Amino acid sequence: MNSKDKPHFISRHVIYALVIGGIAGIVFMLFLIEFDHLTSSEEFCTTCHSMEIAAEVYRQSTHYNPVSGVRASCGDCHVSEGVFAATWDHIKGGKDLLAQISGELFGPDYDDPVINALHLPAAAFEARKWFKSTNSATCKRCHVLEAIQGMRANTNSIHREETQGKSCIDCHINLVHRKVPDEKTFKQARWQKMVEEEFGLAPGSARQLLSQ
Amino acid sequence: MNPSHMRHFLLCILIFTHALSFAAKVSIDPSEWGDPLGEECVSCHQKSSSGLAQQWQKSAHAEAGVNCLDCHKASVDDVDAITHEGQVIATIVSPLDCSRCHKVEFEQQKGSVHSEAVSLIENRLPALAGHVGGDAIVAAGCDQCHGSKVTVRGDGSLDPRTWPNSGIGRINPDGSKGSCSSCHGKHRFSKAQAREPSACVRCHSGPDSPDKGIYEASKHGMLYLAHRDEMALDSDSWIAGKDYVAAPTCVTCHMGAAGKLKANHDVGMRNAWSLNTPVSTKQYLVVFEDGEKLELPASETPPKRGSELTKADGSLGKVKAVATPKRRRQAMQLVCLECHSKAFTKSFMDQFDAVVNLFNEKFGIPSTQIMQALYSEGLLTPTPFDEPIEFIYWELWHDEGARARHGASMASANHTWWEGMYLVGRNFYSRFLPQVEQIAGKERADELIQKTIGSSEHHQWMKQPQKTNPILGYERGPESTGKTEYE
Repeated sequence: MNSKDKPHFISRHVIYALVIGGIAGIVFMLFLIEFDHLTSSEEFCTTCHSMEIAAEVYRQSTHYNPVSGVRASCGDCHVSEGVFAATWDHIKGGKDLLAQISGELFGPDYDDPVINALHLPAAAFEARKWFKSTNSATCKRCHVLEAIQGMRANTNSIHREETQGKSCIDCHINLVHRKVPDEKTFKQARWQKMVEEEFGLAPGSARQLLSQ
Repeated sequence: MNPSHMRHFLLCILIFTHALSFAAKVSIDPSEWGDPLGEECVSCHQKSSSGLAQQWQKSAHAEAGVNCLDCHKASVDDVDAITHEGQVIATIVSPLDCSRCHKVEFEQQKGSVHSEAVSLIENRLPALAGHVGGDAIVAAGCDQCHGSKVTVRGDGSLDPRTWPNSGIGRINPDGSKGSCSSCHGKHRFSKAQAREPSACVRCHSGPDSPDKGIYEASKHGMLYLAHRDEMALDSDSWIAGKDYVAAPTCVTCHMGAAGKLKANHDVGMRNAWSLNTPVSTKQYLVVFEDGEKLELPASETPPKRGSELTKADGSLGKVKAVATPKRRRQAMQLVCLECHSKAFTKSFMDQFDAVVNLFNEKFGIPSTQIMQALYSEGLLTPTPFDEPIEFIYWELWHDEGARARHGASMASANHTWWEGMYLVGRNFYSRFLPQVEQIAGKERADELIQKTIGSSEHHQWMKQPQKTNPILGYERGPESTGKTEYE
């Protein structure tokens, strides 16, 4: 193709812009990939102390210490696959960061283990809804239905025959973090009493703390 | 109504107003059970925990179409409700849950010594299990028979200090007391299994209630073992003297139907005596308007109908009926009469009562009085089990004394004497009294002993150290050759 055939609006500037824009786009995409990768790591998440509280229990779990040696990190479960979905999840997750920062300034302070424990059920219910909405997609990154064998003789057939209309989260909750009952049967008063007993607080103080 | 009419009326209440067949027929409509969602449980549980699913499949429940959810379903507000594979269920099926269908049995067991088994030992637990044992013993020992107070943790799980537990007086998260599965093994719930003595001896085999050994050593146990195949244990109707005559089991006498006597799930109802106390007393059975019950010593004035009384759990109840010890005994004797004559039955009861009275007079009352004196004089600390005599006294009435009394109640000669009253006597003379002397000093001990047993004819032999015996001891009487038997 010679230059005479070129549409007149493709000037040299346009070509520069396209090249620079293209490179910038690639760099931006690479940045997003790196960003998502970095911000999905345990190291990044636990830079907030409130997340360290969640991670303490996680480090006792089989997802941290699996027999297979394949460790699932924060983002492996809590961030969707694919750069756009992952970025979107991180943008949505930004509200937690805002809450963390505003909490440190004005309260509630999620770094406080008591406050953290009191708010944990709400966080767990949100997380379970997210897993439900994604059809437990992040679980399935590693867990392939057809390949689930399990320790018991019939684990495989249970997963083949009893899972119609269900995804992982429908049956498997409380695997990694501190145990929280299902939202349907959750008893707020009992949870608060448990937290009060655990931290040696006066009866009724949990309710006060939660309303702050 | 004059008093004799009244008594007759109360006996009628005791005997005739309960379910007509052994297990009352379930009267609710079959449409009330067979929850279609419950069918789904089975498919998975045939693969996971398939043992329990298979047990259920062999049960009368499965045959009638009663499935997992019919018993285990819960409402979200229930204290112990959890979600399980999408269903809201409770792990524990309480008597209240069972009463959705088995109302009669629920009402009968309510307030019985079985369902009150926690409150009966509540005051003993801190000293016995706490000092002598420990928390681990409470959960794995005491509570497994008496029942735990099941607590649900903040995270919705059942507290492992209180569950698993199928103790007969278990206090359930829904507030009901008892555990049907204590005797009716889940998930098969076989009536034949519950009629076997083994249903009872899981708990009634310890030193305080050595009924397994006693039954096995009795003529009743002997006959049962030899003729078990004639016991019709699977029969729908199970009336002693009609559906089977080979032998009685625990159930037969303590709760079963026999002749005109109807079955009743209040297993303590026919017991006239308290046999597990330092001193036995005959007892009234007070039935409250709400179905709860209470036992009161016969020495107290019987409460009037309609009067208010403090129940075992501390709350107030309105008295509906009072069964005297005599009436309770009469109910028990109706079972005996299916196979024995009136004279035989009465004389057996006389032999039994004589053993209980002997224990009371000779050992129970004196040892209790001496212990009370030692405590009130400050010679013993108030804390139980920190002094050897407290173990000695405890074993005297709780282990050995109970064994003697239970042995006599169910006709095991061996338990009545060698395993029972002989040990009580040995304990009293060779351990208890010497300990009293050690604690109180010779002078005070002699006074105490003189005061409590000095005038009792049972102990006069102690004042005759020269009295000889042809076999035991050393022969030094006028006829004596001065040699012992083995010389």
